[in-house]
This record gives sequence, structure tokens and C-alpha cells, in this order.
Amino acid sequence: MTNVVIAGFVRSPFTPAGKGSLARVRPDEMAADVVRALIERTQINPEDVEDVIAGCAFPEAEQGLNVGRLIGLLADLPIAVAGATVNRFCGSSMYSIHMAAGAIKMGAGEAFVVVGVESMSRVPMGGYNPLPSPRLYAKNKAAYISMGETAENVAKRWRITRSAQEEFAVGSHRKAATAQRQGKLRNEIVPINTSGGICSIDECIRSDTTLEALAGLKPAFDAAGVVTAGTSSPLTDGTAAVLVCSEDYAMRHGLAVSARIVSIAVAGCAPEIMGIGPVVAARKALARARLKAQSMDIVELNEAFSSQVLASIQDLDLDVTRVNLDGGAIALGHPLGASGARITGKAAQLLEREGGKYALATQCIGGGQGIATVLEAI
Amino acid sequence: MDEKIQSVAIIGAGVMGASIAGHIASAGFPVLLLDLVKAGTADRNAMAKTAIDRLETAQPSPLMSQRAARLITPGNIEDDLWRLAEYDWILEAVTEQLSVKKPLYDRIAKVRKPGSIVSSNTSTIPLSYLLLDVPSTLKPDFLITHFFNPPRYMRLLELVVSAHTRLEAVFRISEFCDVALGKTVIHCKDTPGFIANRIGAYWLQTAAAFALHYGLRVEEADKIMGRPFGFPSTGIFGLMDLVGLDITTQVNDSLARLLPPVDAFHEVNRELPIIRNLIAGGYLGKKGTGGFYRTRETSSGQLTETLCLTAASAGDLEWRPISAPQHLRILESGQDIKDLLDAESVYSKFAWAVLGRLLAYSASLIGEISSDIATVDEAMRFGYAWAYGPFELIDRLGGAYVRKRLADLTLPVPKILVDVGEGKFYKENNGTVLYFGLDGTYHPIIRPPGVLLLQDLKLGKIPVLTNRSASVWDVGDGVLCFELHSPMNALDEDTLDLLEQAIGLVSKGHVAMVIYAEDLRASPGHENFSVGANLGLAMFAANIRMWPKIEQLVAKGQRIYQLVRAAPFPVIGAPAGRALGGGCEMLLHCTAVQAHAESYIGLVEAGVGLVPAWGGCAQLLARWQSDNKMPHGPMPAVTRAFQIISTAKISRSAEEARDQKFLQEHDGITMNRHRVLNDAKAHALRLAPNYEPPSPSQPLQLPGRSGWISLTMAVEDFRKKGIATAHDVTVLNHLARVLTGGDANLIEPVAQSAILDLEHQTFMELIRLKETQSRIKHVLDTGKPLRN
Repeated sequence: MTNVVIAGFVRSPFTPAGKGSLARVRPDEMAADVVRALIERTQINPEDVEDVIAGCAFPEAEQGLNVGRLIGLLADLPIAVAGATVNRFCGSSMYSIHMAAGAIKMGAGEAFVVVGVESMSRVPMGGYNPLPSPRLYAKNKAAYISMGETAENVAKRWRITRSAQEEFAVGSHRKAATAQRQGKLRNEIVPINTSGGICSIDECIRSDTTLEALAGLKPAFDAAGVVTAGTSSPLTDGTAAVLVCSEDYAMRHGLAVSARIVSIAVAGCAPEIMGIGPVVAARKALARARLKAQSMDIVELNEAFSSQVLASIQDLDLDVTRVNLDGGAIALGHPLGASGARITGKAAQLLEREGGKYALATQCIGGGQGIATVLEAI
Repeated sequence: MDEKIQSVAIIGAGVMGASIAGHIASAGFPVLLLDLVKAGTADRNAMAKTAIDRLETAQPSPLMSQRAARLITPGNIEDDLWRLAEYDWILEAVTEQLSVKKPLYDRIAKVRKPGSIVSSNTSTIPLSYLLLDVPSTLKPDFLITHFFNPPRYMRLLELVVSAHTRLEAVFRISEFCDVALGKTVIHCKDTPGFIANRIGAYWLQTAAAFALHYGLRVEEADKIMGRPFGFPSTGIFGLMDLVGLDITTQVNDSLARLLPPVDAFHEVNRELPIIRNLIAGGYLGKKGTGGFYRTRETSSGQLTETLCLTAASAGDLEWRPISAPQHLRILESGQDIKDLLDAESVYSKFAWAVLGRLLAYSASLIGEISSDIATVDEAMRFGYAWAYGPFELIDRLGGAYVRKRLADLTLPVPKILVDVGEGKFYKENNGTVLYFGLDGTYHPIIRPPGVLLLQDLKLGKIPVLTNRSASVWDVGDGVLCFELHSPMNALDEDTLDLLEQAIGLVSKGHVAMVIYAEDLRASPGHENFSVGANLGLAMFAANIRMWPKIEQLVAKGQRIYQLVRAAPFPVIGAPAGRALGGGCEMLLHCTAVQAHAESYIGLVEAGVGLVPAWGGCAQLLARWQSDNKMPHGPMPAVTRAFQIISTAKISRSAEEARDQKFLQEHDGITMNRHRVLNDAKAHALRLAPNYEPPSPSQPLQLPGRSGWISLTMAVEDFRKKGIATAHDVTVLNHLARVLTGGDANLIEPVAQSAILDLEHQTFMELIRLKETQSRIKHVLDTGKPLRN
């Protein structure tokens, strides 16, 4: 049976929406720059790429039409390389990896460029024309629930205190700042040309944040709640790309492979507690890999909110010291469609860097879903 | 012939220099702002950059839009002085020391281009001092341009020229400051402090000294030396806090140094230990930790305190909670100010001791600081925001009264006050205002070309149409002016009836109409084009359940505003100050708007629990939907209109009103308040030939119920966040229904008349709610919104 591997991971810097260095950069063009760097750095022959699969949570305007195809053309990939766009909200680009893996297993191609992209500066969360179905709204209001509210619901139901959330958030910033200072993020980042100069570092990380500073913030979504801007991932601009190919192809062409995909899964949960999505999805993926959560040496759990990360760690019985070693989305930022590619690429990179056998990359998804990928060291 | 001024360089990025740069940039001109290189900083332009950053956060904002800041280029005088060669006007705003200014002039002279104008913003130093030893090539182009603080809001600009100054330079700078920057330019004689500060500093010193003498509290002195005489409500101590005690002291010291020993200023300019003690204690006024007033956070909210003057004189800085002055009811009663001056109280003694000296001093300076009284009155009105200048105050009191009361103070009566005899300083003759001159005869007040004031036009004329709320005046060339003049120009049935009549009248023999209001004595920010529909009347009708009456008024407003829109001639709205609610809707239906730069426009109905119902929702929606730059689909325009109306957003300038589309691309902005009517008339006359009324309103593509759900979800999020109150949710959900087109279907465009029906229906639903009525009552009672 054909094995599927991750043979390259790059990303743009992640910067705060509206005020960061990438706010004035078109998302399709930024994604194309990152894809071009992926091709250059992995030294793959672009003729061999079957498809560009782009994950995007709000694929409209500058990241609209079929942005996957447009990114391929912008990146000067050969005309024969196809392109598609995938939307599974925050799970979009991880699911794009799953689609590539499935196609490889089917023998429908050997190499795929997966790219995730989101400019939250230029396309608002919810898009420009949010038009909920009156029928669904009457039946199940929570289908359209705001993400912040789900974070409050999870905090309440899983009894995650505000201080625990803040402690986790400070830890995320500390880990990300350390990784940044030690140059551990440098290799994955592709500098992006902007009208204001070259942007080459992450801009969301607050190395100086403290428990006291976070304790002073007002609740962001519910005046009586416990979730603040400090314990939520910031609105972010960014893009990430992963080279997914068959193990045979990688071996034949001498590509630097960082991990093998062992299993994948998606699963639904109640929309009002969507943050718990990693639990249902990871359990499925782990069962398919015949592994236990405790066997995971590396875990990348997307930090949409502190409350849902802590609840997921609790329910999956994960070792917190193995979670998000270089910090997570609370510190780095969460450009919705790009985060899945980042954390899957990161999990593969960490397996290689830190040693260990297995890694789990998992995310919650708005509307009530989870997605998970289990990786194995080569 | 010199070219018009197109660019300005300012040297000195202190509060004044930077604020002037902000104002010139707000007017749309590029500005180079230079300051020193700050030792120890890597960025050599750090000082100018910091000053520009401060402009963007300072309140009240020195900028008319955030965009303006981008027109200011920061620099420093070591690296960038050569760039002065590119600028038409170089304005020096450095510290008030000749030893700093003079070497700078030598450097400017070497690099500037021939014919560029160089001026100083000095507030007290005479031009003759500045001109000593300056390079001879500079003298013909050198003058004083003295702005008042804050430059955006204070209309006065004092201009001082020398015998060497080229007339062409004087003309260019006057025109630029008047037309482009909106200033009232007055020509002053070259004396210390020029006009406004000379009189203003005397007033402040005299009032402070007598407040101490009579043992008044800070708030008592300010209450008397404020509104009753038409002075700003900050009074004297509040004004010193606002200006800064350090600056007040500098101006006094400078005047003390420069004025001849015989000047009466020296008699009142005794050093006040209080001010010395405050400055020594680090209390510089409003810009610091307080001065005569200070505000403290307490467990029960903010507490305003005033300095105890007697304790402070002895060196103890002690503040006490502000108290409502007792026995001062007369101040609120609006009675003749003579009643206040003649009453048997310590307040009356204080009032006359100050006012008498102020009027006598002002009158004694005629001839020295200005050759006419009208200029002096204008300087005090626009430089110190007084409603009346000293000679207008004398006219209000009567010359004989002032002469008699001066005798009580054993003060000599100035010559011009003797000469005016039983007459007044101002009188009207055949439709012209005349002022009393030094030669003992009356002279007409000549307005600069392009200044058209309704107050002048009205002299000796009767309106074409009039009722209690509005009048129609013939402003010539076939143009009628519809003037709003009810209290705060609130709109009622009378206004609407007269507007309908006026439209009928213009159709028969006139070519255009301008809608306008004029309150030239209102201080900046307090003028009203219209505060909107008369809520008092609406409340009265609601109280007695006269719903049909309210229905009728809503329908009438909609019908007549549609008549304005469809009129077969151009209708130009000419706002200045606040144009809110129904006043804003009136502008939205005009052919075009010629707005004063200081126009504050907004649809504020949601604040009182209502929705705009005279076509405001439909017009704003249509404007946003016709913007090609908006993202496609039915929601972006709806969302923008919802954001603007639901937050009762009021633009902070005419320029900013463009961002909300209260003003459109083709609408004009006039910087000088006195030119608004003339510019509006000219705008009307430009459009009048072959005028075609706009085509019928285009139907709108609206999302209906799906869009409504989307907006109500956002409102619910605001409620959870604690931003929206319970009644906000009700009002905004109703507003969302209007803006999304009710039961509209995405593929069936909605006629604007259907939106008008929704506005009407929704307004009637909301006004019946007791929560909305509570909001209206609260605003009427307190002037503040109720958050229920």
C-alpha cells in the first residue's frame, strides 16, 4: 500500500489583521509566494505536481473564485498542474492534506501542493454576505453561533477557570517567543514583500505578556464571561503550504521527508461546543492508527481559545508538556484557512527535530466539527 | 503675479506648530514639519514624528480626518532645511525667544525660494523686533501670522505687516488663511500682544486679581465671568487651565516686558502667588494633573474639584468638591446683564470691577492696537470665542451707563467712549451696519468679497415667506434661501409646511434654493444646522396617545423630503455645526451639499429608541449600494448603513462625513464659516442652467429575512458583550428589518417607496414603546442619552 508523507512545510509570517505588515498584501499573491518557496526549497520538479489544493475558510473576494487554481498560476506552476479550493472553515487546509493523501492512496497523483490561506484583514470573518437560512436558524440557532460564545460554553461545561486559561495563554506566548528568539521558526518562514518592506517575522507574539496583564482584560464575548482577547487567538493574516507526496516518490527524488501520515479523521460535535471537536476527531484518528493519545510524542492542538484547548487536553488525557512546543495560535495567530497546514507541517517538523515516534495534529472547527491527523516519524 | 500658496513648511513641532500643520493638512495642503534633532535618538525626525502621532490622538482632534496626517512630512532642521526651497509659505512656530528665532531667520533666508512668504506665529513679540537685523532680502516677504489655540477651532488669525512687506505677499497670505484655512483674518497694528491677547491677558489678570480680592470661589468667579456676558463657560480660571498656566504666565511676562510703563496692564499684572505655587507644584492646568480645576477618580465615579484660592495664596494647594454657586440664579434667568451688575452683592461688585476695567482698557487702546472698533470686537469674538466684543458689550449696556459706572470706579472715561455720546458704537442704516470711527463719524462694515451673511441681508428687508420655525429670503440671482430658525433649529410641522411652500415658490420664477441656518455668535462646535425633529412635540403627542398626529408628521416629512429630492431646480443644503436626525435626512435629499468644514452630521434616531423615518434609511442604503467599490452581494451596503445608523455615529467634520456617505463626492466643503452661504449659492447657480431632477430612485437589492437574521445575531453578540442594552436590541432589530427590506427576496429588487413604508411602520411601532418614550423624555430633560 502506498504511504503518504509530508516532504516540506513553509509559511508566511503570521501578522495581526488590520494593523500587521501583511494587512495590505493580497492573500492570493502571498499564498503564491509561499508556494513558490515550497517548490524551491523542496526542489521538487513542478511538472510532477498533480494539483494545488487551497484551504480557505472564507473563499471570496481576493481569496475567492477558485483561489487554488489562481495561486498555481500566480506561482508560475506548469499549466498542467490543476487547482482546487476547499472549505472546512478552520480545518480547510488540514482537510486539503487529507484529500491529497486520499488521492495518493487512490493512485490519483504522486505529489500535491497543499496551501492554506486567509487574510482576515481583507475578507472579514463571516464573509461579506452572511445570509443564514431562516429555516435552519429556527431549528438550530447554534448552527450560526459565534466562536467566542462556544469558547464560553466550553469553559462553563468543562469548568475551565479564567486563570487556567490565562496561564495557558501566557505559556503559549512564552514558548513562541522562545522559539522565535532561538531561531526555531526561521526555517519555516518565507519572507513576504510588502509595500512597507519585507515582512519576515511573526508579529502576533507578545513576549512581555503576563498573568497580571491578562487578568486586567475585560471579557471579550460575554460581559459575565471568562474568555478574553488574551485567551483567544487573534484575527490574523497568513498562509502556509505543505508538500504531500507518496513515500515512493519522495525516495525516488531524494526529497527530505519529515513524517508519514498514519491516519486521518473528521467528526462532528454540537455546534455550541465546537471547541471540543479535537476530542471526537482525534479519538477516531487514533483508533484508526491503533494508537493511544498517550503514545503521542508531539501534539499540535490548534489554539482557537485557551478554554477549548484545555478541555480537549483534559478529555484526551494528553501530556500538556508535549502540546504545542513552539507555542500555538493564541501567540502565533490563527489565519483560519492556513492553520491546518501550519500545525500539520509543524507536527512533522517537530517529530524530526525533537525525535519521537508519533505526532497528532488536531483542530476544532466552527459549526461543530473536529479534524485530526496522526503522523509517524520516518 | 505670485502663484497661490500650495504648500507650507512649519518650523517648530510644539503644540502650536503641529496643530497648525494639522489644520493646514486638513485643508488638503502638503505640510513639511521640522523640529530639532533630539539627542540620543536614532530617528533624527523623532520630534516631528511624535508631534504628528500626537495629532492623531489629541482631543478635541486637531485634524478633520485621519487622512490629513498623511499630508504632513516630518523632518529636522539639520538635515531638511534645504527642502524649504520647495515651499510657498514658511511658518516659524518656535519658542518665544528672539535669540532662537533670529538665527533661524538667517538660515531660512539662505535656502528659501525667492518670493516665498516667511512668517512668525509669535503671540506677543512685535514685528519690528523680529525684523531687526534680518537679511534685507527677507523683509519684503516677512510678516506675522498669529493663530490661536486650538488652530482648528479658533477662527481668528492676526496678521501684522511692516512697511517693508510686499502688498502681494499680504494679499496671498490673507486669501490663503481666509479661503483655504477658514480663518477670519484681521490686520493688527504692530504692538505687543497685538489685539486679542492684549485685551484677553488684561481680562484674565484683572478677573483673577478681583476674584481673590472679593474672596470668591473658582467656580463662582467663572460662573459670573462666563455665560452672562457672552464669554465662554470656561470663565477665567477654566480658560487659564485650558491654555496652560505656564503659557498664561509666559504671555503675561512677555507683555509686562514689552508694554510701556504707563500701560494699565501693569496695574493688574501683579504676580499671583497662587499661579506660582501651582506651577511649582507641577499643576499646569488641563494638559497636566490639573490646575484651578482637577478631576479625580473616586469609588463613586469622577469628582471635579476646584482649588481653594485663599489657601493656595498662602502656599497650601487644596482642592474641594465643586459646588453649585448659591445666590446666582440671576445668571440663569436670562435677565438684563445690568441687573447682575447693579445688584447689591459681592458678585456684582466683582463683575463690574472686572468688566468696567476691561471695557475701559479696550476703549483706551483704540488707535493704538487698531484703527477701528469693529476689528477689536471681531478679534475678541474669534480669538477668545466671546459672543460679544467689548464695544458690542458697551452697546448692550449703553454708553451712558458705562460712563457713569466707570466714574464709580474712579476710572477715566476713554476718549472714544466720550465721543460716542448718547449714540451707539454700531447702528444700521439703509440695510448696512455702520460702526463708530475714531473720526467721530460712522463707517460701513465692509465684508471681504465672497462673504455673504444672512444677518447682513436681513437688514431693512422682510422675508419672502416666514413662520415661527423658518423663513425664506431672496439672496439674489434667482436663488431663495430657506432659513431654519426655531430653537436649535428643531424641525416641526411649520418647518415642513414652509419648505413645501418654498418649493412651490421657487418653481415659479426662481432658479434654485439653498437650505441654511446662521448663528454666528455660537462658539465653534455649538452651532446647529438642525438637531432634527422636534422631539418635545412628538413626546407631547405620544403622551396623549395622538398616534394619528405622529403618523401624519412622519408621512408629511417623507412626502416633502421627496419633493426636495425631485424638485425641478437644484436644492443645496448648506450645513454648519450639527445636522442630526431629520436635519441629516434633509441634507440626504438635497441635490448637493455645500457644508462648512465644521459640520457634524449623523442619523442619531437609534439613541432615542427610533429609526430614521423621513427617508434617511432609504437614502443611506441607496448611496452605499451604488458604490462600485463595495464588495458584491446584498449585505455589504446593508451592513455599512446598519453600522452607521445603529451606533448613531456623528461625523466629527464635513470631511469625515464623506466616509459615512452623508456627503458625496460632488458635495463641496467650505472652510470659512462666513463663506458658506455664498459658496452654496454659487454651487446652486452652477447646477441651475438646464437642471434635470434626478431620475426616480432605483430599486434596491436587499437580502430580506436572511440578512435580518445575520444582523440580529450581531446585535445579540453586542448584548452579550454588554455593549447593547435590552432596548438597544429591540430598536436595532427593528432597524435591521427596515434595512434588509422586510420580507424582500434577494432576486426581487425593492422599490425605495417600500423602504419608506417600512421606516414609517417601524417608527410608529417604536414610538409606542414606553422604553422609547423614556429615552425621549430623558434626552429632553437632561440633554443626555438614556441607556435602558
